[in-house]
Amino acid sequence: MQLGPLDAATSIASALLRALASLVRLALRTPAGRIGLPLVVLHVVLALFGQALAPYPPTQFHIEDHQLEGPSLQFLLGTDQFGRDVLSRVMSGATSLISVAAAGALLGIALGTVVGMSSGYKGGRTDEVVMRVMDAMMSFPSLLIALLVLTSLGPNPINIAGTIGIVFIAPVARVMRSSTLAVKSLEFVDAARLRGEPNVYIIFREILPNTLPVLAVEASVRFSYSILLVASLGFLGLGVQPPSSDWGLMISESRIFITGAPWVALAPAAAVASLVIGVNLLADGIKQARELPKREA
Amino acid sequence: MATTTTVMLETTTAADGAEQPLLKVDGLSVTFFTPTGAVHAVRDASFEIKRGEVVGLVGESGCGKSTMAYAIMGYLPGEPEVGGAVYLDGQDMAELGPAELRALRGNRVAMVYQDPALALNPTMKVGLQILEAISEHLTLDAAQAAERMAELIESVGLPDPERIAESYPHQLSGGQQQRIVIAMALACDPDLLLMDEPTTGLDVTTEATILDLVADLKGRVNAGILYVSHNLGVVARIADRVVVMYAGQTVEEAPVRDLFKDPRHPYTVGLLSCVPKPVADTGAVTRLQSIRGSVFPSAQSDPGMCLFSDRCPMATDRCTSEAPTPASVSDSHESRCFYPDDVSTDLWDELVEREAPHENGKEPTLTVKGLHRVYGKWQRKYLFFGPKVKPPVRAVENVDFEVGAGRTVGIVGESGSGKSTVARSIVGLVPRDEGDLELRGEDLPAEADERNADQKASLRMVFQNPTSSLNPKLPVRHNILRPLQKFTDMTASEREERACELLESVGLDASYMDRQPLQLSGGQQQRVALAAAFAGDPELIVADEPVSALDVSVQAQVLNLLEDHQREKGTSYVFISHDLGVVRYVSDEIVVLYAGHVAESGPAEDVLSTPSHPYTEALLSAAPVPDPDATPTPIRLGGSVPKQHEQFKGCFFASRCPRKIGDVCDNTPPPLQTSPGSPTHEIHCHIPLEELARLQDSSVATLG
Amino acid sequence: MTRFLVRRISLIVVTLLVVSTAIFAITEILPGDVAQMVMGQGATEQNLKHIRETLGLDRPAPVRYLDWIGGVVRGDMGHSFVQKIPVTEVIEPRLANSLILAAFAFLVAVPSAVAIGVWMGVRQGSKTDHAVSVGSLVAISLPEFVTGVLLIIVFSSFLGWLPSSSAILPGTSPLTRPLILVLPTLTLTGVLFAYIMRMTRANVIEVLNTQYVRTAVLKGLPMRRVLLRHVVPNAMLPTISVIAVNMGWMLGGLIIVENVFAYPGLGQLLLTAINTRDVPLLQTLALIIAGTYALSNLVADLSYGALDPRIRLT
Repeated sequence: MQLGPLDAATSIASALLRALASLVRLALRTPAGRIGLPLVVLHVVLALFGQALAPYPPTQFHIEDHQLEGPSLQFLLGTDQFGRDVLSRVMSGATSLISVAAAGALLGIALGTVVGMSSGYKGGRTDEVVMRVMDAMMSFPSLLIALLVLTSLGPNPINIAGTIGIVFIAPVARVMRSSTLAVKSLEFVDAARLRGEPNVYIIFREILPNTLPVLAVEASVRFSYSILLVASLGFLGLGVQPPSSDWGLMISESRIFITGAPWVALAPAAAVASLVIGVNLLADGIKQARELPKREA
Repeated sequence: MATTTTVMLETTTAADGAEQPLLKVDGLSVTFFTPTGAVHAVRDASFEIKRGEVVGLVGESGCGKSTMAYAIMGYLPGEPEVGGAVYLDGQDMAELGPAELRALRGNRVAMVYQDPALALNPTMKVGLQILEAISEHLTLDAAQAAERMAELIESVGLPDPERIAESYPHQLSGGQQQRIVIAMALACDPDLLLMDEPTTGLDVTTEATILDLVADLKGRVNAGILYVSHNLGVVARIADRVVVMYAGQTVEEAPVRDLFKDPRHPYTVGLLSCVPKPVADTGAVTRLQSIRGSVFPSAQSDPGMCLFSDRCPMATDRCTSEAPTPASVSDSHESRCFYPDDVSTDLWDELVEREAPHENGKEPTLTVKGLHRVYGKWQRKYLFFGPKVKPPVRAVENVDFEVGAGRTVGIVGESGSGKSTVARSIVGLVPRDEGDLELRGEDLPAEADERNADQKASLRMVFQNPTSSLNPKLPVRHNILRPLQKFTDMTASEREERACELLESVGLDASYMDRQPLQLSGGQQQRVALAAAFAGDPELIVADEPVSALDVSVQAQVLNLLEDHQREKGTSYVFISHDLGVVRYVSDEIVVLYAGHVAESGPAEDVLSTPSHPYTEALLSAAPVPDPDATPTPIRLGGSVPKQHEQFKGCFFASRCPRKIGDVCDNTPPPLQTSPGSPTHEIHCHIPLEELARLQDSSVATLG
Repeated sequence: MTRFLVRRISLIVVTLLVVSTAIFAITEILPGDVAQMVMGQGATEQNLKHIRETLGLDRPAPVRYLDWIGGVVRGDMGHSFVQKIPVTEVIEPRLANSLILAAFAFLVAVPSAVAIGVWMGVRQGSKTDHAVSVGSLVAISLPEFVTGVLLIIVFSSFLGWLPSSSAILPGTSPLTRPLILVLPTLTLTGVLFAYIMRMTRANVIEVLNTQYVRTAVLKGLPMRRVLLRHVVPNAMLPTISVIAVNMGWMLGGLIIVENVFAYPGLGQLLLTAINTRDVPLLQTLALIIAGTYALSNLVADLSYGALDPRIRLT
């Protein structure tokens, strides 16, 4: 039977869905997951439909009558200095933050995994040189590299995601390398070599499945860092540029009138916080749930 | 009388009531509760230990031996349900409060652990670790305590107590570490000493010296000793009485001689039949027995029947419908079997004589000539500059041997002898630095990657640890189909069919194809590994300690499978092991390695009889034999295999040789001597062979 | 010991060379050239040419790199494009301010994090442990600017106890007005504390499960002694490298925190340098941050070696 590309796509999609479903089931087994999952789902829904669901267009000014108004029935979370509806701005801010953060994290995880696993498997001189370069990359705080690069290249979603991807190569590579080293010493890798398997096959077919638990933990850490990083860049003015709304930038701009109108800062702060807490709780929950069956004697 | 189920404790206390046993374990049971269900680690165990007595506790892994030792200590993880009782000098241990228990531990009851490297705190000097135990329980001033510590270190046979006390664990060898742990246990002159597999991770020569120490302790201290071990040979050597455990129950108990000569429980007989025996007087080697099936699962609750019945060759309906209790066979002998009188040593089948020795083909399958291998590179003092300070380690030097078609060459030696390096050089995992390897007279490239598919298919390897030699994330199918795909041009359906055949040939049915390796027992995993090695019809299989990680009953299955395959296909083997008994059983020729050098090589019988190299002699004398009457010569090696950075000036064995004759050993490399009677039997030693034979014959009563 | 130091320091030098090249490359070679950065988008071709000549930007990049790194080695970091004074003079007072803030955060976070981490590790699974775990998870989830803003709302807007801005006049030391340090320190401490606490807790739990701790318990030692002599020293070993890695994290955190509170330190200067395209200043600041991180790793390695006898500093 010949498989068309469409069949391949559906089978991959259904495999992904099954994996997702099993993760959801795992997450729901622990209290952390039961809180984290709804938070993450809420944000994903916001990212997908936030703009459409928002009561006002996020950039609609109500300068003349509604500047810096407190929460009311008309503006549930109040308005900002230009009289824009804070709730609408928060709701429409999720899209760019989550997509940029996710793209950056995925890129970094993919590149870091390839670099770390190949370097660890290859060993010797190559490994030493690669790891020195990774050390050098790690001797910068990620935020600083991102600032430098974005200053030169200019902040736009693709540059931000690309920068985060590059910044994350080193930490992901380090983790995946040490995990590869541990697996590499197991005898089934020798057995594969003795069968004459090519290196790429050994790394991705034999070793990778055994490092998946480590990769999963690292990936969840990277996702939450990525969100923190994008939000922080926004706060420093190097995130998604106005007039589209950015939670970090909203907080930064609200800094001046924080005493008089704290809601302008509180709403996006709560949004960022609930997103990262959700991701971390979910990751923690899945990790705990995975460890549960391991406790048998 | 034999039919009444009298529990041993009752008989002893009933005798006069005067002598109270030091330790009395009475119907002990321990059940752990895990998220996946209850685990019945110990189900029903009863025995006693008197002062000055060594009681051996044997059984396969998963029989609850270690749990029992820790239960006596009152140290069990989690909150297990404990039934029955443990009495120390009549005191029920369960009644002790935490403070009383603490006052007891390390003081009246002390323990020696399986892995001394893990049992010692890596960041604390060993002297201090001993001192802690002393000052916690004894009221001594600092000077007295320090003096006691030095005495203890000396009493366990370690020289230079001051220097040792100042060492960290990693600076000591495994044997020295275990001596420190023993010294720590002896700190407060305990009444009861619990030893949990204390020699399991150690080399056989080190094990022998530790066993000597334990035997010596028995005479010196007035303590009862519980010696837990899976190794029948070790127990035969040092125990006064032996308790056999199976699936959490004590199934047989007897004085050591009775147990080994006249076992009364089918399980005990089974264990004894699994151990490779030395060549019998007739010179015939008998096929090994194995116990079918596996240990009654600890997750299952008590079914009200004999737990051994599903593996027992003499089980009856009664055995599967009623649970036996321990019954006296004689005054001091008990068995948890309904038919102790019907148990005989040939219960597990007649000992079948093995067919004629393997044919020796004309052309050798594998020739190893002048093999050399060093590890590491010269290291400079500073990163890229400065003088060279650390030379590479010479792992293997100048090793030669041949493997004939359909023959088995056994390689023995302690850890650090270079035997694994030889194995890995042959298959190309560790490329050789110098020397020639020839497969059927054809030169083999050094690295596996450079070899062609045919060479790879002809030269396969079986690894030590079956759990890690199969990818835990891929099903059994993958491990067998993949080599077929690489080495044959079969179609997918042919491969599938062949894979099932291969599985059947190792005694597993086709349903195992889709199992995950972690769902299999160690023995099943190793059988899958064998099937994978057999795929592609190799001419030579290098087996690196293939049975060391397995229980003795399973070990026999794997050895028999290897043997059968060889008879059927004429495959040659290089069989590497630290266990002389196993090597003796499987090998046609034996190579004895020491510090990367061949000490002795030749036909198996010749190597194992006099004259032999002093190192071979020491190995033979150290190897524990499951026979309490065996009286091997007490030849012991101190120290450990030296790490070799430069070529030895004299004999490689000079630093530890018990038969060293003088300066010539230190200064001149030993000559190669050949036995007059056996031209392929070669010994590297300065002592003339006649002299060696005379020395050894005079000190040897029997060498198996 | 000397051998170890020489090896490690040569490694640091190599790392810093790589880092400096990277900094130079990012700031000078990437598109959006320096002259453009200095002049902004509206500059004419003539202006740009003039700027390039005065700043020596017309020379090839490798020459300029060698020139720059040569200066750095001699302690000459060049002149600030914007302030027209030597970079070292711009940085000096700011460096002291940042160090004060970092030191405060470090002194508050590390000891308390280690102590509580050990305690929670021992009381693993208790109600307190669960509460602290959730709390620390929330703390590592909050970006500094969120924590900072929340603290400002609570402690200055609402309670009015502490100033919301930590700006001080140039030339004055923050130590003269210690109150302004409280909120930045707390903000910086949050993540640091939570992270180190979690790692310590995990390490303690791991060590508690080792066989040598079992040996110590079965020696009959009291729990206190088991903890102090056997568990804590061994659990601290991996914690040390975590602390060193966190130094890097904290330096990143400084950039945010100083900007939230308008505190005149290196982080705020960095953002100014970025906004004013002051390339020499930017390069120097980046190098200082990388150097600090490398140094803290060296200190971690040295203390690791001092505590772990298995690692010989030779």
